[in-house]
Amino acid sequence: MDLEREGGRGANQLRPLDCSRNVLNRAHGSGSCSHGETRVLAAVYGPKAGTKKNENPEKACLEVIWKPKIGQIGKADKEFEMILKRTLQNICLLTAHPNTTTSIIIQVVHDDGSLLPCAIHAACTALVDAGIPLKYLAVAICCCLVENGRIILDPNKMEEQRMKALVHLVFPSPVQSVLPEGSKEDGIITSLSHGVMTVDDYFQCVKHGRAAVAPLSNILTKKLQSQSPSNQSVAG
Amino acid sequence: MTLNEKKFIETALLSDLRIDGRGPFDYRNVAIKFGREDGSSEVQLGQTHVMGFVTSQLVQPYRDRPNEGTLSIYTEFSTMADPSFEIGRPGVFAVELGRIVDRGLRESRAVDTESLCVVAGKWVWSIRIDLHILDNGGNLVDAANIAALVALLTFRRPECTLGGDNDQEVIIHSPEVREPLPLIVHHFPVAITFAFIGSESTVVIDPSNFEEAVMGGKLTATLNTNGDVCAIQKAGGDGVVQSVIMQCLRIASVKAADITNKIKKAVESYNTERALRKIKRHPDPVVDVSKGAGMGVRSLSIEMEKTRLEIEDRKVNRSDDREIETHSSKKTGSSRDPYSKGINGDELKASLASRAAATSVEKMDVLPSVKTQFTMIDKTPTEMDSTPSLQQTIEAGEQTIKVKTLMDAVKPKHRRKKKTYPNHDLS
Repeated sequence: MDLEREGGRGANQLRPLDCSRNVLNRAHGSGSCSHGETRVLAAVYGPKAGTKKNENPEKACLEVIWKPKIGQIGKADKEFEMILKRTLQNICLLTAHPNTTTSIIIQVVHDDGSLLPCAIHAACTALVDAGIPLKYLAVAICCCLVENGRIILDPNKMEEQRMKALVHLVFPSPVQSVLPEGSKEDGIITSLSHGVMTVDDYFQCVKHGRAAVAPLSNILTKKLQSQSPSNQSVAG
Repeated sequence: MTLNEKKFIETALLSDLRIDGRGPFDYRNVAIKFGREDGSSEVQLGQTHVMGFVTSQLVQPYRDRPNEGTLSIYTEFSTMADPSFEIGRPGVFAVELGRIVDRGLRESRAVDTESLCVVAGKWVWSIRIDLHILDNGGNLVDAANIAALVALLTFRRPECTLGGDNDQEVIIHSPEVREPLPLIVHHFPVAITFAFIGSESTVVIDPSNFEEAVMGGKLTATLNTNGDVCAIQKAGGDGVVQSVIMQCLRIASVKAADITNKIKKAVESYNTERALRKIKRHPDPVVDVSKGAGMGVRSLSIEMEKTRLEIEDRKVNRSDDREIETHSSKKTGSSRDPYSKGINGDELKASLASRAAATSVEKMDVLPSVKTQFTMIDKTPTEMDSTPSLQQTIEAGEQTIKVKTLMDAVKPKHRRKKKTYPNHDLS
């Protein structure tokens, strides 16, 4: 039962992932990430003084602004903002800069499926570029359930529209720890599902997604490391 | 901005020095890139970064203009461009930028709105331009204007026909069914901005963000290469002598011509790349070798013929300086591209060698009887002479078919050439 995917990809094959840091000049940190044709740009400003009104001043506050490609911000975009904020709150070291606000601005350049994972990777890249202290990187994957029960990873727009159900999963990137014990941060940071699926299918998706974490996080760390930090002064 | 920095910039300008090393009338480098879809552009002017997206929709026209389409511009001063830009309603500068670009494009009748009418009084196309400012390195107006222009030039709107009962229903065709159409743009209005700095009102072109923080006044002139002034904007600020304004306009017309050339080149290269992509999507059935034995031999000889014609054509076109990925056109042998530059001999030899080797292998499958002839050729694959020798062997084998294949090789190519380059109206 061989599934025919566009571009000849297998069910477990991801699109080429590309990440680059320091793409903008004014922002304190910036990153761009592309999963195949999907491209997202992220910029970070911060930490700035003061927190928002109802936020805890003993911790740093994160603010996410999602900019869609066309038109004003809508309900779906506000949901993405909320998801990104909670996800990034988990990976940032919030106690390092108490009573500050860090703004993360996400701009969608092109959406060809798997938009949320791409945005999370772009946000992580921008945070790394800005020097915000993080506990670990986040690795996100989109698992899709098609009609015949097969699970495919990293769908493009056409596949997303035809799917039966969809799950976005975010895992912590495995940290090389000095301690001999495995890190206990092994759980799912975020899980967002659309459509109807059985419980077994869901756990299958989680299993497939977790299998993709190691290669994805290797690619991400390699891309972030290979770009040497540039020592440029702001004055021209 | 500190007082020290202000004084430094002003004093340096008195000796005709700008802090980024340019002269007072040097424009920064413009880099134009395109996105994946039609109508998306990314412009970099020094450190300023602007993206433009164009979309279209069928709407009802305005009451007083029943047979004209509409063009609307939305500017997003994204918070990522500058820490001082805030979210929420667009500020004064965003509105001003939107109005300048709008005046240059719509009120100067650069975009033909009458061609956007589908059913007079009922359905017209509404073109929407979204400009996203990503990075504020100074002079946002010029960059945004170029981004809007380039996005409009590469945008394709879906073709629609009237149908249904009464011919009143509009059917929009998807891009796979009918080729989408480009917009009609009569001329290219290009905006050039000048800043007036200091008490002597020194003029600089294309201010960077530091110069913008120091300047006393700003003048934006939108011109086109026909010598028309489409718009001038000088909103307050320091008073400037009339002769200085005339000098600025003269300089602006020179720079506008430069920028128009760059825009035209970029859009043309995008159009040829787009056409190439379309050709790759629909491979020519004649060149497909895998379709059975009988077809196989004939098509292989056609391919060899086409290779020979291609080599000759490429030698003729060596003077063109257009860069196209030539390996893509080699793959589908029949897609001859008139803009391909002359390939250097080594590349051609290597590719022909690989193709000759590949085709000779396939021939071995198809014609086992002539296997002995081809083993000899396999050992010397790196010469261009291998192709004529292969042809000779084919000639020996099938004389009659060869005559037919030459005509078949020439005719479909010409037909296809006319089909894939329909709308090249960039005068």
